[in-house]
Amino acid sequence: MTVAEAAPPKRRVRRRRISRLKSDARFAWLFLTPGAVLLLLFVIVPFAAAIWFSVTNQRLISPLPTRFVGLDNYREQLGDSLFWTSMWNNFRFAGFVVPVQTGFALALAVMVDQNVRGRVLFRTIFFTPVTVVMAAAATIWVLLFNVNGLVNGLLELITLGSFSPDWLNSTTWAMVAIVVVSIWQGVGFQMVILLAALQDVPVERYEAAAIDGAGTWQQFRHVTLPGIRNALVFVLTVTTILAMRLFDQPTLMPRSPGGPLDTTRTAMVHMVDLGFGRQAIGRGSAVAVIFFLIVLVLTVIQRFFLREEINA
Amino acid sequence: MAVTTATARKVERRRRHERAARPGESTTKRWILYAIMIALAAFFLFPLVYMLASSLKPDNQVLANSQSPEAFLPTPFAGLENYGDAIDRAQVPRVFLNSVIISGLIVGLGLIVNSLFGYALARLQFTGRNILRATIVALIIIPFEALAVPLLFMGAEVGWLDTYQIQILPFIANPLYIFLFYTFFLSIPVSLEEAARIDGAGPLQIFTRVVMPLAKPAYATVAILGFLFSWGQFLWPSMVTRGIEVRPLPVGVGVFKTTPPVSWGDIMAYTVLMTVPLLVIFVVFQRQFVQGVASSGVKG
Amino acid sequence: MAALAVVAAACGDDDAEAGADICDGEITVDTIDAWAHEGAEADAYEDMVDDFNATVGADLGLTVNLTLVPEGQYTDQVNAAAAAGDLPALLDFDGPVLANLAWAGNIVSVEDCISGEVRDNLLPSIVEGGSYEGDLYSVGTFDSGLGLWAYRSALEGVNARIPTGADDAWSTEEFEQILRDLQDAGFERPLDIKIQYGTQGEWMTYGFSPITQSAGSDLIDRETLKAEGVLNSPEVVEALTLFQSWAEDDLIDTESVDDSNFLSGASPLSWVGHWMYNAYLDEVGDDLILLPLPDFGEGTRTGMGSWAWAITSAGADLDADAAWAFIEYAISDDSILKITEVNGAVPATKTALAKNPNFAEGGPLELFVEQLDGAPDIAVPRPITPGYPTVTSEFWTAMDKILLGDDVQATLDAAAKAIDADVDANEGYPSVS
Repeated sequence: MTVAEAAPPKRRVRRRRISRLKSDARFAWLFLTPGAVLLLLFVIVPFAAAIWFSVTNQRLISPLPTRFVGLDNYREQLGDSLFWTSMWNNFRFAGFVVPVQTGFALALAVMVDQNVRGRVLFRTIFFTPVTVVMAAAATIWVLLFNVNGLVNGLLELITLGSFSPDWLNSTTWAMVAIVVVSIWQGVGFQMVILLAALQDVPVERYEAAAIDGAGTWQQFRHVTLPGIRNALVFVLTVTTILAMRLFDQPTLMPRSPGGPLDTTRTAMVHMVDLGFGRQAIGRGSAVAVIFFLIVLVLTVIQRFFLREEINA
Repeated sequence: MAVTTATARKVERRRRHERAARPGESTTKRWILYAIMIALAAFFLFPLVYMLASSLKPDNQVLANSQSPEAFLPTPFAGLENYGDAIDRAQVPRVFLNSVIISGLIVGLGLIVNSLFGYALARLQFTGRNILRATIVALIIIPFEALAVPLLFMGAEVGWLDTYQIQILPFIANPLYIFLFYTFFLSIPVSLEEAARIDGAGPLQIFTRVVMPLAKPAYATVAILGFLFSWGQFLWPSMVTRGIEVRPLPVGVGVFKTTPPVSWGDIMAYTVLMTVPLLVIFVVFQRQFVQGVASSGVKG
Repeated sequence: MAALAVVAAACGDDDAEAGADICDGEITVDTIDAWAHEGAEADAYEDMVDDFNATVGADLGLTVNLTLVPEGQYTDQVNAAAAAGDLPALLDFDGPVLANLAWAGNIVSVEDCISGEVRDNLLPSIVEGGSYEGDLYSVGTFDSGLGLWAYRSALEGVNARIPTGADDAWSTEEFEQILRDLQDAGFERPLDIKIQYGTQGEWMTYGFSPITQSAGSDLIDRETLKAEGVLNSPEVVEALTLFQSWAEDDLIDTESVDDSNFLSGASPLSWVGHWMYNAYLDEVGDDLILLPLPDFGEGTRTGMGSWAWAITSAGADLDADAAWAFIEYAISDDSILKITEVNGAVPATKTALAKNPNFAEGGPLELFVEQLDGAPDIAVPRPITPGYPTVTSEFWTAMDKILLGDDVQATLDAAAKAIDADVDANEGYPSVS
C-alpha cells in the first residue's frame, strides 16, 4: 500500500468523524428526551421537593403554615440513636447479603453451566422464586418461620429438637430470616445474569489455561472471574443499592415493622415510619436525604474500585 | 472481541461441554453435584408447594399441621372454596385486569424509553455524557419511598388521583433499567454498528435495525425485572387509588386484612392467584427468558 | 422551582370550615360521594347505601355514590387523600383519626345538623368518641367492646371467683393467681392477648392502653397533649412491669399466630374485643363468658371507639344537608341493627341497643353496654389529639418492646420523649378554628 493511496481515506475519516459528532449530538437529544423528561418530572422534581420538605416543619395533614426550620430535622436525626440503629441495620444486611448472595448466585450459575442432564430444569427451578413478588413471598415465609412452623419442624428433625428459635420475634434471628427470604427471592436473577456472562467466556481461554497446567480453581480464578468482570460489577453495584433500600421484608415480616426491638429497622423503615406513620414529612425527608448521601458516597467508593471495562 | 453469532456461541458451548465431559471426570463428583442441586431445588421450591397446599385447606388448618408432612399436602381438602372466596371478596378479575394494564404499559413504554436513553449514553457522542451517566447512577439510589409524598401532592394538583396514569407515568423511565441497558450496549461489539454507519445508516436506523435485535436479551431482562417490580407495587397504589376501578392486585389483599380472624386460606389463595400468572408466563416462555438472558445478558 | 411552588401550594391548602350554619335544611345536589372501609361489613355498607338510595334518597332526589377502600390500608389512604385535598363529601374512618382530621379542617362539626332527639339517643361513648374540643364531628353506627373472654369450666376448675360486672373486676393479684393456677392445671400459656395482631399496630394501643388508665394514669395529659410524667409515670411503669412479668412467666401466650390457642381451649382466657364473639361462641358454646379486664388499681378500664361517619369540608361546601341525610339514615335503628348483626359490634343508639337481646340485662354481652355507658370513666376513649399517629405508634412500639423483655422505664421514657417532641414540632397542636 502506498502513501498516496492511504492519505485520502484518512481525511475522509476525519470529516466523517466531525459530521458524526454533530449528528450524534442531534440524535442524542432525540434518544434522551423522553427518558429525561420523565426522570425530571417524576424523580428529580419530587426529590427536590423532598429536600425542601427536609428543611421545613412540613406535616402530612396540618392546618399550620409550613415553616422553614433550617437544619433542625437533620440535627435531630443525626442525634437520634434510632436513626443510627437503622443505618447500622442497613449495613449489617448489605454487608452480609451482597457478598453471600452474589457468591451463591455465582455458584448456582457455575452449577447449571455444567454439562449435566436436567440442567435446564434446575436452572428453571432456581429462577422460579424470582417470579414471586415480595409481598407474596413475605406472607408465605412468615408462616414458614412461625415458631411452630415448617422451618422449625425441619430444624428440630435435623438437630433433634435442640434448635428451634422463634425466628421473627428473636433479636438475633429475625434479621437472619429476612436475609434468607431476600436471598431465596433474589438470587435466581443474579444467577441468570452471571450465567450469561459465564457462557460468553471464550472456550479458547480455558484451553490455553489448561495447556499451561492450570487446575480447576486456577482456571476459575484467572479465566472465569476476569471474563465475567462486567457482569459481576453490575450485579455488585445493583445489589448493594437495592440491599441498602431494604424495606418490604422488615415491614411485612416481623410482628411490628422493623422489630423486634428495632433489630430489623432499616433507614427506609425509619423514614416511612416518620413520614407516613407519624406524618412528620419534614423529618422523614431529612432521613431520605441523609440516606441518599450515605449511599451515594458508598457507591462512589465502590465504583472507584470496581468499574466495568468499556468496550466502545 | 470477535463477533459472536448465535451459532458460533452454540458451537462454542458444545465444545466446552465436551471438554467438561471428557473421560476421567469422576462419576462421584457428578453425583455430589446432583445431590447439591436437588437439595437446592428443594430449598427454592418448598415455600411454593406450601403456598399451593395451604390455599386448598380450611383457614384454621393452614398453621395447624405445618410441622408434619401434611404441610405439603392439601389435607384436609377444602376444594376451591378459598379461591371462590378470594375472587369474590377481592373482585379478582377486575384488579387482575388493572394490574395487567398498569404493568403492561409500564414495561412496554419503559423498554423503549430506557433503551433509547441507555443507548445514547453508551454510544452517542454528546457533551455532558459523563455527567449524565454519573447522574443516572445517583438516581438509582433515590428510593421511591422518598418521592411518594411530593408526587402525591403533584398528582393531586393535576387531578390525577385514582387514575391509571398516576400509577404508570412515574415508573416508565427508570435509572436502574437505563443503567442495565447502558451496561449491555457497552458490551455489544461496536463493529456491527460501524459497518451499518459506513453503509449510510443514521443512529435511529442503526438502533432499530442493528442494536435492538442484538439486544433482545437485555430487553428480556428489563421486561422481567420491570414486570415483577410493577406487579408487586404496593405503597404508591395504596396512596393514590381508592375504589375498585383502577386498584391493582397487591392493594386488593388489604380486603383480607380486616377485623380478625384472619383467613389464611383466602390469603394464600389470593397469593397463589397473584403469583401463578407470572409463574406460568415464566415457565411457558422460560426458554426465551433464561436462554435469552443467558445467551449473552450482561456480558463479560 | 415552579413545581416546588405547586407542591407547597398543595399542602398549605386547607380552608378550615368553621362548622357553624352548614345545615340549612335544603338539599341542593343530587349525588354525593362517600368512602367506606372494605372489611367484614362491606356488603352491609353496600346494602345500606342501596337501601338509602331506594328509599329516603329517592324521596329527596339524592343518590349516594359509595367507594369501598380495602380496610388494610384505609387509614393511610384517608390520610393521603386528606393531604392531597381529595376527600369525598362523606367519610367513614376509624375513631382515633378524628382529631387529626378535625384539627386540620378536613372534616366539619355536625352540631348544626344533628337534632337534639337524635343526639340524645346516641350512646355516651359514641358522643365522647366523636367529639373534638367539645363539638360533635363524627357519628358511628356501632361502638366496640373489649374484655376477657373465658371458658367458665376452666375457671371453675381452679375455683376462681367469677366477676359479675365492671365494678367487680379481678384485682391484679387475684388475676395473677388465677393465671398461675391455670398454668398449674396444665394450661401452658393461659392468657391469649392476640399477639399476632401486632403488625396492625392499633390493636396494641386499643387493647392495652386501658392498663395505663386502670393504673391511674393515661397515655398523655389530655390538656397539654404531652406524655412526660403520664405515660412514664410510676403507676404505668409498675403496671406494665407486672404485665411484662406475666409474659416472662409464660402466663401470657406471646407466640400465637392465630386464634386457635383460645378456640382449642389451650389458652382458656382471651383478652380481645367484641369481634371475636361469634367465632368464640361457635366453638365454645355455653361455656363462653365475658369478663371485665383486670383492675390495675383504680378500677377496670376498657377500650372504646370504632368506625364513624363524618362530613368533610368538601362535603360542607357541596351540601352538608345531603351528607347529613345519609348519616342520619346510617344511624337509624334499622341500619344499625343490620350492620351490627354482621360484625357483632355494639349498636350506637340506645333504641337499637334495646332491640338486641345480646346486650340486654342478663344477655351475654351486657358487660359491653355497662362499660360504654360508663364512658369516659370505665370505657376510655383513646386520646383525642391531632398527634395521635405518634402517640399510638410510640405506645404500641413500647408495648411490643416490653413484651419482648425490654426495660419498662427506659422504653416508656423514650416513648414519652418522642411524643412530646412531636407536640413541640407542631407548636402544641394549637386550636386553629
